[in-house]
Amino acid sequence: MDELLAEFVAETREMLAAIEGELVAWEADPADRPRLDAIFRFVHTVKGNCGFFDFPRLEQLSHAAESALAEVRAGHREPGAQLVNAVLAVIDRIGELVAAIEAGDAMPTTSDDRLIAALEPDSASDFCPVDTIANTDSERRPAGLVSAARSIRLPVNLLDRLMSGVSDMVLARNDLARRLREAGQDPALDGPFERLSAILEDVRDGVTRMRMQRIEQLYSSLPRLVRDLSAELGRQVMLDLQGGDVELDRELIEIVRDPLTHIIRNAIDHGIERPADRLAAGKREIGLLTVSARQAGNKILLAISDDGRGLDLARICARAVAHGMGSAGEIEALPHDRKLALIFEPGLSTAEQVSAVSGRGVGMDVVRANLEKVGGTIRVESEPGSGTLFVLELPLTLSIIAGLTVECLGQRYAIPRSFIEEIARGQSAAIEVETLGETSFVTFRGHRVPVLALAKALGQADARPTRQHVYVFIRSAPGDLFALVVDRVLDNEDLVVKPLAPAIMAAGIYAGTTLLDDGHPILMLDLPGLAAKHRLTNPLKAPRQTETETAPTPTASEADRIILITDLAGRRRAVRMAAVKRIEAIDMGAVNREGRIWRASLNGAILPVAGLDHDPPAASHLTVLRLTDGTREILLAVDSVDDSAALAGRPVPLPDDPLLEGTALVDGAIVAVIDCHALFSRHCAGAALAAPRTCRLPDGDDWTEAFLRPLLEAAGYTVAAPGSDQPVDCAFVTDGGEPAVDTAAQLIRLRTTPEAADPEDCSIYRYDRQALLTALGRIAGGR
Amino acid sequence: MGELHLVVTIAGRRAAIPGAQVQSVVELERIVPVPQAPPHIAGLAALRSRALTVVDARAALGLNPALWETEGRAAVTMVDGHAYAILVDTVEDVTEITGEPTPAGASLGPAWDTVAQGLVETPVGPAVLVDIAQLVCGSSTCLASGVQHNAA
Repeated sequence: MDELLAEFVAETREMLAAIEGELVAWEADPADRPRLDAIFRFVHTVKGNCGFFDFPRLEQLSHAAESALAEVRAGHREPGAQLVNAVLAVIDRIGELVAAIEAGDAMPTTSDDRLIAALEPDSASDFCPVDTIANTDSERRPAGLVSAARSIRLPVNLLDRLMSGVSDMVLARNDLARRLREAGQDPALDGPFERLSAILEDVRDGVTRMRMQRIEQLYSSLPRLVRDLSAELGRQVMLDLQGGDVELDRELIEIVRDPLTHIIRNAIDHGIERPADRLAAGKREIGLLTVSARQAGNKILLAISDDGRGLDLARICARAVAHGMGSAGEIEALPHDRKLALIFEPGLSTAEQVSAVSGRGVGMDVVRANLEKVGGTIRVESEPGSGTLFVLELPLTLSIIAGLTVECLGQRYAIPRSFIEEIARGQSAAIEVETLGETSFVTFRGHRVPVLALAKALGQADARPTRQHVYVFIRSAPGDLFALVVDRVLDNEDLVVKPLAPAIMAAGIYAGTTLLDDGHPILMLDLPGLAAKHRLTNPLKAPRQTETETAPTPTASEADRIILITDLAGRRRAVRMAAVKRIEAIDMGAVNREGRIWRASLNGAILPVAGLDHDPPAASHLTVLRLTDGTREILLAVDSVDDSAALAGRPVPLPDDPLLEGTALVDGAIVAVIDCHALFSRHCAGAALAAPRTCRLPDGDDWTEAFLRPLLEAAGYTVAAPGSDQPVDCAFVTDGGEPAVDTAAQLIRLRTTPEAADPEDCSIYRYDRQALLTALGRIAGGR
Repeated sequence: MGELHLVVTIAGRRAAIPGAQVQSVVELERIVPVPQAPPHIAGLAALRSRALTVVDARAALGLNPALWETEGRAAVTMVDGHAYAILVDTVEDVTEITGEPTPAGASLGPAWDTVAQGLVETPVGPAVLVDIAQLVCGSSTCLASGVQHNAA
């Protein structure tokens, strides 16, 4: 059973156990609204979760129960004993099916039709839940025994206790280590102590990982969800996931999972229009759905935006009035954002048609309730016709952050690594600092960005940045880049960030505190706070919005994907995916050098090989990327093909190296991106001979036919048929002969002896390959 | 009889902190300063795996900490879910107070008035009963005097 499925089973079982009490209470009083809501949420969640898997029976059952309960909630139907029985029977059946899934058994063959029919208002059949329970118990019990505990669910506070206990142990260990050192070496103690240390590290690693997950884990199911939903609903949706490396507490991930799913469903179902409607509205037919995670100060922001039709405010207000939330006048008088926030009220829905995909607005009240339970918030912004944005704000308190520690005036500070674009030393020749007005600017890689000296920001010194300092380039917000000047960069550390006392938070420049391994507290800087406080904004802002809007087709996203390679000099390089046709291994025997140019024959074609500036590898095969610009192809020799990745942002140009487009940050490492245009312009000069060049050989000469012709054809020439009088670029004659037809632009004379008989003779020795190629090159140049 | 109180000296004067609010008394070995924080925040210190916010009680009263010696001991306390270490001059005793706190009857001076909850009798003599939450907030005058200190 895969992890996702196990999770689904465990969650459903947990909810079943929790809801058991509610069921009994609801049965006693079917008008009990909170109970009704709880049961409704259960079937709704089951239905939602089924969307991940192929469980049509579960989905039908939960959908039927949800529909019936929705009518009750909307006040269209009275919850009679018959309905209560039918719902209970459905819930029992859900439990039964889940037990079968868990045990890996075949689904019970009982038909669900009768159950579903019983939910109908005018149904004749009435279920006595006692019967069904009695029937199913015998099936369920053994199933429960079979399912051995492959995973357990733990209360998070137990993990908290464990984690703080392990942290204390680490500190005690460090203390002990110091004392042992002071007491002098004792081999009898050192061995066991080392072992203790190693075990402790293992335990700590495990405990830490128990709690933390990259948000990627949450993202991993989204592409499939979006694909299935858009196929089902006839939409075209491009999903853009950002910030997958943000780490979230496992508990938070679980809490966010359902809300995120709900919002995405709603966005595709209600937000993004059908392709034809989108075209009519002047939009691209492919809708863009963006999910991005970001750490901002002591919060995690999860933003879900679509470029669909936006929320229908008038309809929301009308529904709110119909639901008795206020009079038309009162609702009308609400400010814009409050009106939008009405969608988070229970029972409110604007969907014209209830579909199996997204519910009827029920999602959003559940979403808000779940988030608020952990101290999170949700807000919505919407622009009619241009889209909707949901922002989920989650507390950071539980998160571990990848951080960089820096030193400033003898004190250490931590910086969340997610903000760091690049680090450069002041000594670097690429760094240029100028003071303009009261602010220093640093020019690096062609960008001028403002400089903030940390010492100055901390009010400790008014030192101007010097060559001794280190510049940490910080992207505090999309488009806002500044350079933070510190004395030294120390280390990468994983930080468990704890909140700071209000008096310290009031300074506005710290996001939290954390204890380093040596037990000393360290302050984590609030970089957006610092940037805002010192008004550091960059006039070179690249508005991301326009970038995404001008991207014409999904292939644009392919252009932003890169293949990571190691070149033959052992350097990591990136090539844009769009240029890569395929990856091939070619026999070294098929690779030849002609002058400075390497060529290889591949499937009957002779292609230039780039990247072979050095001696070819001794291996029998050469790995090449087959690059194409649509009409021409070249091969790029590489040592290995390592990975593919998304290119985040534009590569920073590197003026020094014309063959490189620039540098980009891939998984925290700097990689140079190969400039495909430069590559083609350099290597296709030879290939440019390919199509149009023609030549004529002397008729009936075996040597030219057998020796010269292959060379010429390899260089891209077509040899004119013997006896034809078509114009050609060049004609060959041997040993003082004259061409039969004089239609050649150039004449190349060959001789059979190495030395020319006459100094005036400008003929070429027929085996002087270099001179031949030069002569051909001159023709290419002259044309 | 009376409740246990921690009797300390702050800025040379005797003060009492309700024992129920004090988790422990620690010796602060190393305090990491927090630049740009209010002057009564001496910095951060680690207690096992927790970070404590160190409040200099002298500065919290709005007084110049440099005028009184401290032996570096602090009372650990929780206010609104945050752990603080209240740095005092000396820790004298943990003792029961006799009788109920009584109003001071007169102003104790601008420094003490905001944090004083009254006077208590202890075996070592009368002491000012200190409101920890107020102390942690810092005195209203401390910002102004902090600026003076920096300027001086």
